[in-house]
Amino acid sequence: MKLFSLLVLYKDDSSASILKASYDLSSFSFFQRSSVQEFVTFTAKILAERTPTSSRQSVKEAEYMCHVYVRSDNLVGVCLSDHDYPHRVAHTLVTKVLEDFTAQVPRAQWSTGTQVQGFSGPLDVYMKKYQDPNSADPMTKVQNELDETKIILHDTIKAVLDRGEKLDDLVAKSEDLTLQSKTFYKTAKKTNSCCGSWS
Amino acid sequence: MYPSLSSSATSSSDSIRRRGGHVSPHPSTGTSSFIISSGPPPSPIQPDSVSHFEVVMAGNSSRDRTHEFINAVRSFQGRQINGHLPSSMAKSAKQNQLMAQSAEFMKIARSIGQDITNTYVKLEKLTVLAKRKTLFDDRPQEIQELTYIIKEDMNQLNRQIGQLQQIAKAQRSQGLQGKHQQSHSSSVVVALQSKLASMTSNFKAVLEVRTENLKESKSRQEMFSQSHVTQSLPQSAVKGFHSGSVLAAMEDDERQAQTNGQVAIAMDQSMALMQQDHTDQYLQSRADTMQNIESTIVELGGIFSQLAHMIKEQEEIMFRIDSNVEDAAMNVDAGHGEILKYFQSVTSNRWLMIKVFGVLIFFFIFFVIFMA
Repeated sequence: MKLFSLLVLYKDDSSASILKASYDLSSFSFFQRSSVQEFVTFTAKILAERTPTSSRQSVKEAEYMCHVYVRSDNLVGVCLSDHDYPHRVAHTLVTKVLEDFTAQVPRAQWSTGTQVQGFSGPLDVYMKKYQDPNSADPMTKVQNELDETKIILHDTIKAVLDRGEKLDDLVAKSEDLTLQSKTFYKTAKKTNSCCGSWS
Repeated sequence: MYPSLSSSATSSSDSIRRRGGHVSPHPSTGTSSFIISSGPPPSPIQPDSVSHFEVVMAGNSSRDRTHEFINAVRSFQGRQINGHLPSSMAKSAKQNQLMAQSAEFMKIARSIGQDITNTYVKLEKLTVLAKRKTLFDDRPQEIQELTYIIKEDMNQLNRQIGQLQQIAKAQRSQGLQGKHQQSHSSSVVVALQSKLASMTSNFKAVLEVRTENLKESKSRQEMFSQSHVTQSLPQSAVKGFHSGSVLAAMEDDERQAQTNGQVAIAMDQSMALMQQDHTDQYLQSRADTMQNIESTIVELGGIFSQLAHMIKEQEEIMFRIDSNVEDAAMNVDAGHGEILKYFQSVTSNRWLMIKVFGVLIFFFIFFVIFMA
């Protein structure tokens, strides 16, 4: 499950301009990277322009899934991933990125139409973190931990069942022991009382 | 009854005639006195001259299908006995109803059986189609259509069998049928259901085979087209690589812009109408995940309480073991004490010792004297 790129765009009235972008094209060969990057930029622009305001879309192309989120204030977040990446996590990521962006970059810089300074650090951090959606997304993390706990509990119950069996065994053996010791005692007593005059 | 019977009989005789046979009327059926007009007008032929008739017509490759005809007539009679009571057969109303019900049941069961065989044939066709492993000449359209048709058929068959079951239940509750008939109807329903179930499992297997083949063919396609990054990327990617080494920079940009434009046009057409809003999908999936998590937590709580319960039960067994072992220890101690007492009595019993040694020495002396 890979994340290929994250972009933040600003959409004004039917054209979108990229404000910030971050790419992770390490899975492609060196010579294809530039063209893939252009393709990514281009796809993001087109999708941002074609998505209505305050809506999300997940579009499937031949090898990629493109997740778009257009906010009501015309800020657009686009995320490209492969098919296995869960949609929910991608959209959560995009929402988060947009919120952070709003917090960091003042609104005045949005409609400049050029790349914005100052947000690249967090964007790259997000890219890296979300390469593994299972650990980054809190809901999936919780779900996985719960599943692990469930497995552990199942094993515990099995162990307890085994313990029960062993306890049953122990009960039987201890009962035997009691009977035997009783017999021992009776025999000892008998030896003591009668035939005491002989050696 | 007679006119309807004659029409049905004529239709059956029509079909028989079409097969190139000639039918000789058999006057002793007891109900009919038909004269079926075949090609050459049959003179009133006596039953004993049937074989003669056959020999005469041997040159026309005819067959004697009298018995088939009689059986067909009889089966038609049985079917139509519903509203047409011949006076010669005086059956009670109950038995008539019984026969009507069973006839209806049989009709429906037969139709279902026929449908099942048809669907089987379609399934076989689909199997043959799905097993083809060629990269090209794969007819996905046909396969999809066939799959759809088979699915529809199976649903319908399911419904029909459900109806049949209902009818069987209703008939059973009416109490007219004997035990054997009830068991017969129920076994018929069960047989049909099992046939449908086996067909469904076959269908599933065929679909799995088809997906496997699709995956294989796709991977083989990818192997052949490894130089391309994606299906939609080929032009820009490959051309970008080549042009970097051959042409001047300006022409590169121009051409790349062109190819990008081409790609844009292609993508435009593919994404023209996708204005769906997936927000509700996203929110729905979040809600689902949350629900999942919640149910998992509840399940975990249940497991914990089960665990506690089991441990509590085992505690009782522990008590028993404990008491048993304590009893055993007590007994062993008591026995140990007894033996100690015994030992003491033995060691301090000097008189006993003197007595024992006295006897021994007596015997020893006795033997010595005896020997010497």
